[in-house]
Amino acid sequence: MKKILAILLTVAFVAGLAGIALAEDAYDTVKKKGVLVVGTKDASPGFGYIDPKTREIVGYDCDFAAYLAKKMGVRLELKGVTSAARIPQLLAGNIDLVIATLTYNTERAKQVDFSYTYFLTGQKFLVKKGTVKSLADLDGKKLGTAKGTTSEQNARNALPKATVVSYDDYPPAFLALQQGKVFAVTTDESILAGILGKAPNKDQYEIVDIRISDEPYGIAVAKGNPKMLKFVNDTLLEMEKNGEARKIWDKWFNPNSDQPMERGKFKITADRK
Amino acid sequence: MRGNVNGQFSGRGGMFTYQFDWSVVLTGQYAQWIADGIKVTIQLSTVSIALSFLMGLIIAVMRLSHLGPVRWFAQSYLEFIRNTPLLVQFFFWYFGSYQILPQSVNDWLNARDFEFSAAVIALTIYTSAFIAEDIRSGIRSIPKEQMEAARSSGFSYVRSMQYIILPQAVRITIPPLISQFLNLTKNSSLAMTIGVAELTYQARQVESYTFKGFEAFTAATLVYLLLSLIITALVTLYDKKVLSPTGMK
Repeated sequence: MKKILAILLTVAFVAGLAGIALAEDAYDTVKKKGVLVVGTKDASPGFGYIDPKTREIVGYDCDFAAYLAKKMGVRLELKGVTSAARIPQLLAGNIDLVIATLTYNTERAKQVDFSYTYFLTGQKFLVKKGTVKSLADLDGKKLGTAKGTTSEQNARNALPKATVVSYDDYPPAFLALQQGKVFAVTTDESILAGILGKAPNKDQYEIVDIRISDEPYGIAVAKGNPKMLKFVNDTLLEMEKNGEARKIWDKWFNPNSDQPMERGKFKITADRK
Repeated sequence: MRGNVNGQFSGRGGMFTYQFDWSVVLTGQYAQWIADGIKVTIQLSTVSIALSFLMGLIIAVMRLSHLGPVRWFAQSYLEFIRNTPLLVQFFFWYFGSYQILPQSVNDWLNARDFEFSAAVIALTIYTSAFIAEDIRSGIRSIPKEQMEAARSSGFSYVRSMQYIILPQAVRITIPPLISQFLNLTKNSSLAMTIGVAELTYQARQVESYTFKGFEAFTAATLVYLLLSLIITALVTLYDKKVLSPTGMK
């Protein structure tokens, strides 16, 4: 009888522990294990890429990750993720946060929780110099972009008569532009600036100032972790207030960088979730 | 259709249940994308199967020709095509051809649906090399006395092939031919790398918009399976009804 009671008690205890473990917020889990694992891009110039000298992932996204880890008082571990793997990795629990040029949209917001916008860009067009003056010049033309992004649908909506061809990545899309297979390459300005910065004959191309969408980047937290989400949001607002967010922007996108971008009127605010 | 199959995933952050949501691929805009993809995959496969079979026949006959240069050409064609990765061939016909062709031809191609044409060219040429080898072994299995008999009855070499040898050889080659047609259909998914919006391309688009990759790729897998079964059934039926109606094997 005693034995059975002991077994029952043990089972109840283990079940109880498991119950607590399941309900625990990611914030507490990270604090406890002392390391924050963040998924960032590792081949996106300016945002998350491998520094050829140090062999470490650096960029705009990584500086935000570093600030968050420091504030939490834990070690930071960066893990390279691809566009397609970002959300699945987070959902599988392999990473605690996604800070990887992730554009907010309502479909994605059904899968994960988004922080406030920490970077704002817009979809523009990279073309041969002097070929495009207005949006009308692009309609009915063939446009190139990359798969796994929201750029294709944005282009379809803005230019219903255009044909959109999606390649595996941006380098083939740019090659197609060079060979005249597409009339323009369209995606986030931040990415276009990165391609143009590395192009050998960059004086023949230009990014035209036609913006067909806003692309707000957010930090993704797995659903059901309100404490973690609040921590991320509060920290982002703090970084805006103490000037850290602007400093990081200027560090990566200043006029002398490989992809100069104006911060303009952008500020991290609590406007949009 | 919502959440009728549930799977369990556990991770470091805790445990959650993956809700399969088949409505994503069965209704609305995303279903339309998948349907468009199916259409393109069928078009691409059908055109390429027809052309590669024709091309394979020609190469096989050339490979057995007694004219040296013709045989050597066929031989190098086979070796070159069979020993190069298909993906590289896709890039070659789509991007590489630009460097060789005159600018006027490039402009003409670029003004049209060159993505689709380049995919047909790559699939046709690649598959034809394998089909040619299969047909060649079919031809070799026909006793050479038949060719001798045909030639002594006054048939030319080409006519002997056309009326006597090839009809028998192709019949023998049906099972490996089916495999090549199935390979071609599945290989057509590589066309997405040069921007042809076929089935795999569309499944990936659905995944990147909705993160419902399990559903999108399961649907795509089932369609490929269905297409493969249809091709097998059609070729087997053609064999039974047209090629060997008397039941001869």
